[in-house]
Amino acid sequence: MGAAVVLLGLGAAGLGSYPIYLLSLAMINVIAAVGLNLLTGNSGQISLCHSSFMAIGAYGSALLTARLGIPFWGSIPLGAALAALIGALVGAPASRLRGIYLALATLGFLQIVQIAIEELADITGGVRGLTIPKAQIGGVRLSEYARFLLVLGCCAFGIWTARNLLASRVGRELDAVRLSPHAAQALGVSVHRVRLAAFALSAAYAGVAGGLQAIVVGFIDPVEFGVSAALRQITFIVVGGMGSVGGSVLGAAVLSALPEVLRPVKEYSDIIYTLILLGFLIFLPHGLIALWRRIARRMQRRDMPAAVGAQS
Amino acid sequence: MTPRLAVENLSVRFGGLLAVRDVSLRVDPGEIRGLIGPNGAGKTTVINAITGAVAIAQGRVLLDGAVVSRLPAHVLSRRGIGRTFQHVEPFGELSVLDNVLVGIGRHAHVGFTRAALATPAARLVEREATREALGVLERFDLLSYRDTAAADLPFGVLKRMDLARALAGRPTLLLMDEPTSGMSESEADRAIAAARTLAESQGITLLVIEHNMRVMMALAHSVTVMQNGAVIAEGEPATIQRDRTVIDAYLGEEARDAVH
Repeated sequence: MGAAVVLLGLGAAGLGSYPIYLLSLAMINVIAAVGLNLLTGNSGQISLCHSSFMAIGAYGSALLTARLGIPFWGSIPLGAALAALIGALVGAPASRLRGIYLALATLGFLQIVQIAIEELADITGGVRGLTIPKAQIGGVRLSEYARFLLVLGCCAFGIWTARNLLASRVGRELDAVRLSPHAAQALGVSVHRVRLAAFALSAAYAGVAGGLQAIVVGFIDPVEFGVSAALRQITFIVVGGMGSVGGSVLGAAVLSALPEVLRPVKEYSDIIYTLILLGFLIFLPHGLIALWRRIARRMQRRDMPAAVGAQS
Repeated sequence: MTPRLAVENLSVRFGGLLAVRDVSLRVDPGEIRGLIGPNGAGKTTVINAITGAVAIAQGRVLLDGAVVSRLPAHVLSRRGIGRTFQHVEPFGELSVLDNVLVGIGRHAHVGFTRAALATPAARLVEREATREALGVLERFDLLSYRDTAAADLPFGVLKRMDLARALAGRPTLLLMDEPTSGMSESEADRAIAAARTLAESQGITLLVIEHNMRVMMALAHSVTVMQNGAVIAEGEPATIQRDRTVIDAYLGEEARDAVH
């Protein structure tokens, strides 16, 4: 992974402003998708309010900077912590609900956040949105490339921590709670606590993504964090592969590039999006990551006889 | 001697149905207690009530003299009550090793932040837990399945994994729900031997639901018989086998089954 980060970091130095901007947005999507996948793919809880936690991170960090003068490197972690805290508050009742009921409850929370942003116009700018102060360190503004490197760093860190978590007791318990809450409980796992922690954890990832989006785009408004954003994030993890960090990365990266590819047929992009989602649900329910693994295995098998031949 | 497990006047209600009625039960440390009775007698419900999986309507449960009824299931597990399932509930997509690692859980505690950052301390705990889990797999002859998804296991192996997973948490009391059901006679014999070793060499107290009378005779020190949610007899296996009430309620039924 380290090599990929360095390559991307160096390679982007030669790119123009627009591709760098697009790459930044794609990586922000990756961070959000990684967080959502821990919640939905691993702990088995559907969430239709992941974009609200992004909003909390975005507005939280932007207002901390604008009102209290806290620089971005302090305000983004604080915004993420706030998102995690609210995530835990949402998770407390939500973790008692399953399936469609949980989907509805989280959708309700999304609406509350939307209305709160619109009604608290004095602080949030309401529907007209909020212009974000330029990120700076010690009075020096971050260049577009510096902002890109910041997002790249956060993205790499997010992927790394998620992989670590999944390889630890935390990841096993997330999966155990999804696969059999009854057995998990009998083995000493507090199902309620794990579900709640999953909400807080995924909200923290979303919070970081939101804070970065505010800085990169320079402007936020409630529409950015509405229900279509929440659904797009679900599409990321379904297309990429549920319960897999690699899947989150693949899904978010591929689908972030899609709007650019579809630019000539822009009017139909919603339909195409939906068709892709349906296609994956029906034909590739384990996502791109499963396809990737299958291809990798097949290539390995094809290499094997050749290797044996070379030896003899 | 303080009994390891004491169930006092336990009742469990499912809506209008009294599934368990005024059941009392004492199991001493190191004892192997059998729990038998016809289908629907309430045996599994007793186990579910002891482990906190179903709510208790009346009565209480004591573990080593301390009242533990109404504690949540995961707390009871951490206090040392382990269980196996009649219909095993594996974490199907997880490997056998990971299934056992979930069972080790409380002995391998790592904080969230440490786990996320994979600190040396977190990696050490993970390595130790894995080593312990591999030891458990070895004891249960499961090493060759360590990376197999639990959903892909043959039935007998799955049963063994269920037991290994429950024992990984080092319980002092193990509740076994039909440990030999679906097993061949030789598999069942091996399971009996394993269970006896648990009680005799590790001092684990066993409460075993078993349908097969042959298994019960070979395994249990004493037997409690249930029918229609209530205890109808209690005693040594040989005595129980001759008990008139028990024969009418249960063994008779089995004898009739055997004829068919």
